[in-house]
Amino acid sequence: MFIEFFYKLKETGVPVSPTSFLTLHRALNQGLVTSLNDFYTSARSILVKSERYFDLFDQVFAHHFKGAEMPDYEGFEVDEMARAMLEAWLKDPKSMADALDMDEEQLKKLSPEELIEYFKERLKDQDEEHHGGSKWIGTGGTSPVGHSGFHPGGMRVGGISRNKSAVKVAMDRRYKDYSLSGPLTQAMMGEALKRLRNMIPSGPKDRVNIDETIYQTMRNGGEIEIIFDRDLKDRLKVIIAIDNGGWSMDPYVQVVQTLFDYTRAQFKELKTYFFHNTIYGTLWKDAARYKQPVKLDEIVRSDSETRLVILGDASMAPYELMAADGSIHLEERSGTRSIDCLQSLADTFAHSVWLNPIQTNMWQYTQTINTIRSVFPMFELSIDGLEKAITQLMLK
Amino acid sequence: MVAIENGSSFTGATRYVLDEELANIVNISMALEMPLLLKGEPGTGKTMLAHAIAENLQMPLIVLNVKSSMKLVDALYQYDTLTRLNDSRFSDSGRDVSNIEEYIRMGKIGQAFTAEKRTVLLIDEIDKADTDFQDDMLDVLDQMEFDIIEIDKTKAARNRPVIIITSNAKKDLSDPFLGRCNFHHIAFPDPKMMRKIIRVHFPSLDTDLMENAIETFYGLRDVDAIEKRPATRELINWIRALDADPDFKPKKLVKGKVPFLGVLFKKSQDYGRVLQHTERRRLF
Repeated sequence: MFIEFFYKLKETGVPVSPTSFLTLHRALNQGLVTSLNDFYTSARSILVKSERYFDLFDQVFAHHFKGAEMPDYEGFEVDEMARAMLEAWLKDPKSMADALDMDEEQLKKLSPEELIEYFKERLKDQDEEHHGGSKWIGTGGTSPVGHSGFHPGGMRVGGISRNKSAVKVAMDRRYKDYSLSGPLTQAMMGEALKRLRNMIPSGPKDRVNIDETIYQTMRNGGEIEIIFDRDLKDRLKVIIAIDNGGWSMDPYVQVVQTLFDYTRAQFKELKTYFFHNTIYGTLWKDAARYKQPVKLDEIVRSDSETRLVILGDASMAPYELMAADGSIHLEERSGTRSIDCLQSLADTFAHSVWLNPIQTNMWQYTQTINTIRSVFPMFELSIDGLEKAITQLMLK
Repeated sequence: MVAIENGSSFTGATRYVLDEELANIVNISMALEMPLLLKGEPGTGKTMLAHAIAENLQMPLIVLNVKSSMKLVDALYQYDTLTRLNDSRFSDSGRDVSNIEEYIRMGKIGQAFTAEKRTVLLIDEIDKADTDFQDDMLDVLDQMEFDIIEIDKTKAARNRPVIIITSNAKKDLSDPFLGRCNFHHIAFPDPKMMRKIIRVHFPSLDTDLMENAIETFYGLRDVDAIEKRPATRELINWIRALDADPDFKPKKLVKGKVPFLGVLFKKSQDYGRVLQHTERRRLF
């Protein structure tokens, strides 16, 4: 039973194991599952072992038991939106017309199908996910159709409340925030950062090393020789450099900074610097990039075991990176090409990464991203990317 | 839903508000005799659940607080060499020094295995320990027995305990470990659930006070860039403080005045930020 369901889960990337599938059947055989609700909770708790996959599970479940459109993200959401839009339109044609920038008369002429077509047409026009624009559909924008928009008289699409059958609960997608592709929350980043550690013996020698004591005692012919060791402490030095110039970086600066501050106690030393677009001869300790400049030469002299994390979208005009005196700020005329400065940083710090908030599949379209990628290993600023970045930083 | 062998199933406890989904999962895990792994933000009641189960099913609760330096053997049994040495030197205790078994003390898992009754075993914050601990423990919990090397005996569990394991997601748990547990993630309670929780703790609380306090609480939780967001425990303490203050009127909260902020926010940075936030709100 449910073998198809099991394989569907596997196909969509939920790590499920045959053993757990058998356990689920044990539960079924014992008559523990009497309704679809029971099946939903028990299947989830037995098969899925991380909240990151709850969302996928919900979608597969809804698809399998309700025939909801497949958990192909786009499809699912568009259909949901379209349905909700249709409902709103039926209730209140006037505001709908306003929202779509159309005459009410004009709108009346459209059949529901045509309306949805129009809606999907707009969706297709956009070639990337867009949050916060003025025309296209996305979240938080001013476009008339979309989620949580600000358009006056605009309408809210999706997120209608439903009553609670298992399939409906699954369709609620309550665990969206925890999924791997979901937004980056502080808790999740904190989890990833915890792995950034490097245990080094420090402090006084006050721990008895029993194995060594026995060995040395035996070598001494039974004369007791107690060997002491130092405690292991995490003594990692970390430098983070944040691109805080320009609106494109704004949403990320705060999150990243809070997080590294949060884990500050874990490191021996944590230094935060700021720059705009790319690094020339100077970095700044203050976020305004005005009061406390630090020369690059000084930073390069730090311990080469220091981990360097650079956060930036790496998107700029090519000359800013490649030309000597390419900086858009007049006072930053060091005479060196920025790419050389980056290279010298990469040479100094063997363990360095560049975190980029732009999605990986968009990187190829920006020339400067490709150039910088050849200097620093670059990772997307998402749970997945962050984990890979930490692994990179901890390579021997 | 399901009746467990001894005829009882878990339905909630006096001080614990249970959502149906979780009750379901607990009952299934008990019936399948599998450990239940709970993850979730601090303050979502992971630990409380085990207490509630113990109370509800009237089983003794045994708590194993995992520490980072812990070895599995510590949780199973201890061989008290020091007492034995002492006894062999000053033999006045009545124990038989040549019988090592007299110097074996049971650890928390050992206690749960050897108890007369079925017990609830809570393994709290498993993620603090290293992966070796987790993998070794898994074998013990799967076999329901362990060896005492010193006396070359195997201790088998008399009653299979109900095992609840909590994790704060500090580290990821290993795949084989996860494979042998059932899993649930407790989300932070929504306001509706929170009202029930508060009711359970303060049956006679003024409704105005409760509503305003909960609303303010969720508002404050959403303030940007807070390091440690207040959880249920903080809210309960805060309401206790508000309730105890004779000068306090629930209307003050609506006006944006928040007394006893220190009960909710315990990091000085957070405190400052929230204070700024609430004061700005009052101006407008």
